[in-house]
Amino acid sequence: MKPLEIIRKKRAEAINRIIAKGYLSSKRVYVGMATCEIAAGSKEVMEVFQDAVKSGLSDVYLSQKGCAGRCNLEPTVEVVEEGRIPLKYGLVTKEKAKEIIERHLKKGEVIKEWLIK
Amino acid sequence: MPKRFNITLCDGPSCMHKNSKEIVAAIEAQLKKHELSDHVGINLSGCLGMCARGPVMIINPGYSIYGDFTEKDIPEIIEQHIKKNKPIARFIIDEDHLYNRFFRVFGDVNFFGKQMRIALRNCGIIDPENIDDYISLRGYEALAKVLTDIAPEKVIGQIKKSGLRGRGGAGFPTGIKWELTAREKSDEKFVICNADEGDPGAFMDRSAIEGDPHTIVEGMAIAGYAIGAQKGIVYIRAEYPLAVKRIKKAIADARKEGFLGQNILGTGFSFDIEVRLGAGAFVCGEETALMLSIEGHRGMPRPRPPFPSVSGLFGRPTLINNVETLANIPVIILDGAQWFSSLGTEKSKGTKVFALAGKIKNTGLVEVPMGTTLRQIIYNIGGGIPGDKQFKAVQTGGPSGGCLSEEYLDTKIDYESLAAAGSIMGSGGMIVIDEDSCMVNIAKFFLEFTQNESCGKCTPCREGTKRMLEILTRITEGKGSQEDIDKLLRLGNMIKKASLCGLGQSAPNPVLSTIKNFRAEYEEHVRDKRCRAGVCRHLLVYEITDKCVGCSACKKACPAEAISGALKQKHLIDVNKCVKCGACFKICKFGAIKKS
Repeated sequence: MKPLEIIRKKRAEAINRIIAKGYLSSKRVYVGMATCEIAAGSKEVMEVFQDAVKSGLSDVYLSQKGCAGRCNLEPTVEVVEEGRIPLKYGLVTKEKAKEIIERHLKKGEVIKEWLIK
Repeated sequence: MPKRFNITLCDGPSCMHKNSKEIVAAIEAQLKKHELSDHVGINLSGCLGMCARGPVMIINPGYSIYGDFTEKDIPEIIEQHIKKNKPIARFIIDEDHLYNRFFRVFGDVNFFGKQMRIALRNCGIIDPENIDDYISLRGYEALAKVLTDIAPEKVIGQIKKSGLRGRGGAGFPTGIKWELTAREKSDEKFVICNADEGDPGAFMDRSAIEGDPHTIVEGMAIAGYAIGAQKGIVYIRAEYPLAVKRIKKAIADARKEGFLGQNILGTGFSFDIEVRLGAGAFVCGEETALMLSIEGHRGMPRPRPPFPSVSGLFGRPTLINNVETLANIPVIILDGAQWFSSLGTEKSKGTKVFALAGKIKNTGLVEVPMGTTLRQIIYNIGGGIPGDKQFKAVQTGGPSGGCLSEEYLDTKIDYESLAAAGSIMGSGGMIVIDEDSCMVNIAKFFLEFTQNESCGKCTPCREGTKRMLEILTRITEGKGSQEDIDKLLRLGNMIKKASLCGLGQSAPNPVLSTIKNFRAEYEEHVRDKRCRAGVCRHLLVYEITDKCVGCSACKKACPAEAISGALKQKHLIDVNKCVKCGACFKICKFGAIKKS
């Protein structure tokens, strides 16, 4: 097999593994976890989301991500839904994360005051 | 409510000429007609890199790229795509580019929408610790492609054709560097990734590695294949523990998947990477010092030639590329050298990442095509200066760069233009300075850094920067003379000419450029003993005004017992005793103390 064929096969496998992890859930949540984001408190924010998933929050794919580069609004959290413009929350705290889970992820209510414009 | 759609219209120089203003007006009119104005966001981007198909716009969600349309087509596009949610196939550019992937997620935010992300294409949209995420976005396809059917000299040919230049600061053409190393005959060669990012306030490389480490691994493997090396080393500073962890994990995962190690993807090509930690000496970012440090010696530059391409690490031919340079490689291979070279200016191709910091509303990472002006970065992307303050200067290139005043704001960013303006591209630090900063003090800050980091090998740098710092300290303390300014110029130019390595050759830049562009401030310091920004402590005068109620809080706070006055009566500061610590200014609740 040629390298290009191998990589195509590997890509299909990789995509399958990602899907098996729940990528096709109706909402995908990305929490910034670079040094800068962690310094701004994103580890605590991540824990809130992880706890929610552990205690039964379903149909949500949770992932970490690197820094997108919007320093003074960190920690940042993106909520991505197929067919909609991804929503980007800035300056997320532990408390805000809990509210994002309750209002946005569970009830579909966008908290627009916290969105990055 | 959040918008249902977002239309991003390319406002790059080429598309702009194709009536982007009229198109925006047509879009707005149609949205109004269909009563959709509240549901659709419109923004203008920088160059989207599809100039041949302009005008170009992206409709999100869905990332539909429209090209080759005119304002007459707008009614149809709005009606079909926005109103009925049916994209029109005949306008859609069907290209699976690697660059600007992050546009799908971030394109509607002005700060991101105006950028063009090539090196940072995956940063912020993938899980950096999951190789599957990288592979799913065509990761390692560039490596597979060169291994399948591009001979090493053809890979080098493509890198040369792309016009990519070193992003570490000096801007040496990357393709030529590869060619020079490939030409050497040796049983062992090395590829080094220079991740020894040390400029104060710079975090481009850290973010790139933390956000997308596999692109560095892939770039290094392609370089290894092109020059005939079997071994790669990532030289990264120990102060970046998370970046170290992620690059190590990326290397291990790539090895597991067969992208590194023996007989890569069954082609017989073998290449592996190890990580070496730097202890944080600034000079170790200089290539010859870096190699000595890897060999276990004290990091000190040596004269060149021999260049690393001939005799580098352990005396073997060695290719040293910066993180950002390597991050561009997979894109050049997959999106094409021709496309890459269509971006930027005549001599500087592609994009550059800047760490935008200082007195700016939107601090952050900015990747823009070469040729973008400083004004566009600071005002359109950075959002300008906070608090209605006046712009004073922008410092590019970190401690080795220069401070440019307002008249240089329309300078196009590329290696030559910045050098002509008296600064450098450097590795991409960009610090905005407002009226509250003293330029003499800023110059002193940067010189303090380089003076501290001077390795001490050659006299001009070791002794010269020390003397320059003494003079600057004298000036900020109000003990300087007119002669001192000339002395700084003379010393600075001499150090630049006579130093061995880049550190010494550029250390005087902040001082020389501030004297050139802000000489009046230096003269005020030496002649009038005045610091207009009120930063230089020794030049300040504290006075108590009639607002004083005689509470004696300042009197108790003064460590020098310079304040006198009876309770409930106006107090007085003895200027001869005052040490200008500012304690009284801070403690006064009545705003009765004036600083001038």
